[in-house]
Amino acid sequence: MPQTSQTVREVTDDAGRRVTVPLRIDRIISLAPNLTEIVYAIGAGDRLVGDTSYCDYPPAAKTVEKVGDTLHPSIERIVALRPQLVLVSTASQLEVFTHQLETQNIAVFVTDPHDLEGVFRSINQLGGILDHDDQAKQLVDQLRSRTAAVEAAVKTTQPVRVFYQLSAEPLYTAGREAFVTDLIRRAGGLSVTADVSGAWPKYSAESALAARPEAIILPTGGSMGAANSTVAEPLQRSPAVVLGKVYKINDDHLVRPGPRAVDGLEEMARSLHPDVFKL
Amino acid sequence: MTISESSHGRASTVYKPPHNRTTLRKTVIACGLLSGTLLLVVVLMSLVGSEPLPAGASLCALLSFGRSQCTLTSDQFAILFQIRLPRILLAAAVGGSLATAGASYQALLRNPLAEPYLLGISNGAAVGTMVALVFFGASEWSRPLLAFVGALVATLAVYRLARGRAGATPERLVLAGVIVTTFLSSVIVFVTTLMDATRIRSFTFWLLGDLSGTSKNLLPVAIAIAFVGTVVLTANARSLNLLMLGERDAFDLGVEVGRVRIVVFVVASLLVGSSVAASGSVGYVGLVVPHLARLSLGSDNRLSIPAAALGGSLFVIVADTVARTLIAPRELPVGAITALIGAPLFIYLLKRT
Repeated sequence: MPQTSQTVREVTDDAGRRVTVPLRIDRIISLAPNLTEIVYAIGAGDRLVGDTSYCDYPPAAKTVEKVGDTLHPSIERIVALRPQLVLVSTASQLEVFTHQLETQNIAVFVTDPHDLEGVFRSINQLGGILDHDDQAKQLVDQLRSRTAAVEAAVKTTQPVRVFYQLSAEPLYTAGREAFVTDLIRRAGGLSVTADVSGAWPKYSAESALAARPEAIILPTGGSMGAANSTVAEPLQRSPAVVLGKVYKINDDHLVRPGPRAVDGLEEMARSLHPDVFKL
Repeated sequence: MTISESSHGRASTVYKPPHNRTTLRKTVIACGLLSGTLLLVVVLMSLVGSEPLPAGASLCALLSFGRSQCTLTSDQFAILFQIRLPRILLAAAVGGSLATAGASYQALLRNPLAEPYLLGISNGAAVGTMVALVFFGASEWSRPLLAFVGALVATLAVYRLARGRAGATPERLVLAGVIVTTFLSSVIVFVTTLMDATRIRSFTFWLLGDLSGTSKNLLPVAIAIAFVGTVVLTANARSLNLLMLGERDAFDLGVEVGRVRIVVFVVASLLVGSSVAASGSVGYVGLVVPHLARLSLGSDNRLSIPAAALGGSLFVIVADTVARTLIAPRELPVGAITALIGAPLFIYLLKRT
């Protein structure tokens, strides 16, 4: 369909690409659960015509037409749904896929948040593109003030040394580039693997034990189901386990860089510093 | 003398078994030396890891068999005895099992390229382990059991595919192995795609061979199977020597060919199954080590099978030490290291045969 300069605008995404999008967008597809959550949170959920099988929040997202999962979306189904815009996260590594969509005249917007600031930026960007600037700004203000409250509460506390166990066998953790490393720091923790390169490195069991973590965080109970609900065998004798400081936190709040990341931040801060949050 | 050369032996030539006493002495000396080296390597590699431990105190604790903590802190002691040493012992069991299985397949099939990984037998065991994880996740024992079943089924499939009217040529066997390997790889990809995204990460790592998940319960099983399997196959080494002349000649010389074949298939599948269930598919061990054993000690199976077992343990212990220290505190899968060494050697051997 021919578009004049009045009906389109140009935006820059997190990959540094200049994306031309229509001024008025009615049909969008989200290829990542955190982006689906943002779209609903800024009140644009009714424009979602497709999302992935991982998109399960809010409950309404489950009823949206599925285009596959984040790693293996069906390009045919996407094209058939005639979206004006497809939202992707770099975690899905869809370079080739992005190119295919662009040859079909479908705009692709890439997000790549590495920390909570990045999440706020994604929210504002999507608000701008979907003409929901006010809702986006309101949401970000809310999330910022909740974040500031947590940070103020833990400010005077001694940071707790945390080991983040992504999976027990083999032992995976969160590295420097993981979004959750920033959350742990803001929650008054210090990830013992914060300086390890990569986002999700496989980690040496002896190094994990030698780091003497005072708390262990197990992301579990959300999309993970019952998986990852026990501490890896070698860490059973770490100070965290001996002192009973093992905290299970909904994995969806910790690994999805969306609005609920602030829930995850609050849950972690309450676990790590219970006396500060005692009423 | 390589195996393929010996298989050209004519039926008319009378087979003269190698001088028994010489072989026995050679076996005792070679295996004694290898066992000593193995013990030394176990101790030395226990001193290396992502966490530096005081060498003197560690040595003192190791020599006391863990009865004394010497001057190690309790954390250091736990790292040494609960994390590092069990992993090294598992590496020994896995390496010994895979090399013994490889050496026996090579003798039985009269094919220097027969190797559990290349023939798809490891993949058969991997499918069995995955089925166990998906359907009987709670029961650790189901893993080696179903891995054994998977390995045995894959072995029989390759054997049937490889046997043409002209017998199983090395090329035919390798081709059959490629077919079984790729077919089972597709099964694995299919199953992982159906599974939770959260579990795929651990599977892809595990499929490359990974010793980090040493299980307290399965370690003694893996060691026991490696030991008993090597003893049983060594006890059949004389029959395997005669089989290297050809099945008909061996039969004429009184070898119960059918029985030996079943013993090798079952015991080798057990060895591969227990290894894969514990550590995933560590490739090329069954190829590299038996070849080195035969190159240096000759192709008498009574010597080369036990030597390959000890050599396999050494090889995987060293490879895993590289895997766990090279980019410490991050880790590499040990299968990547063994394949890096094994694949070029495979090409070299393929050119020679």
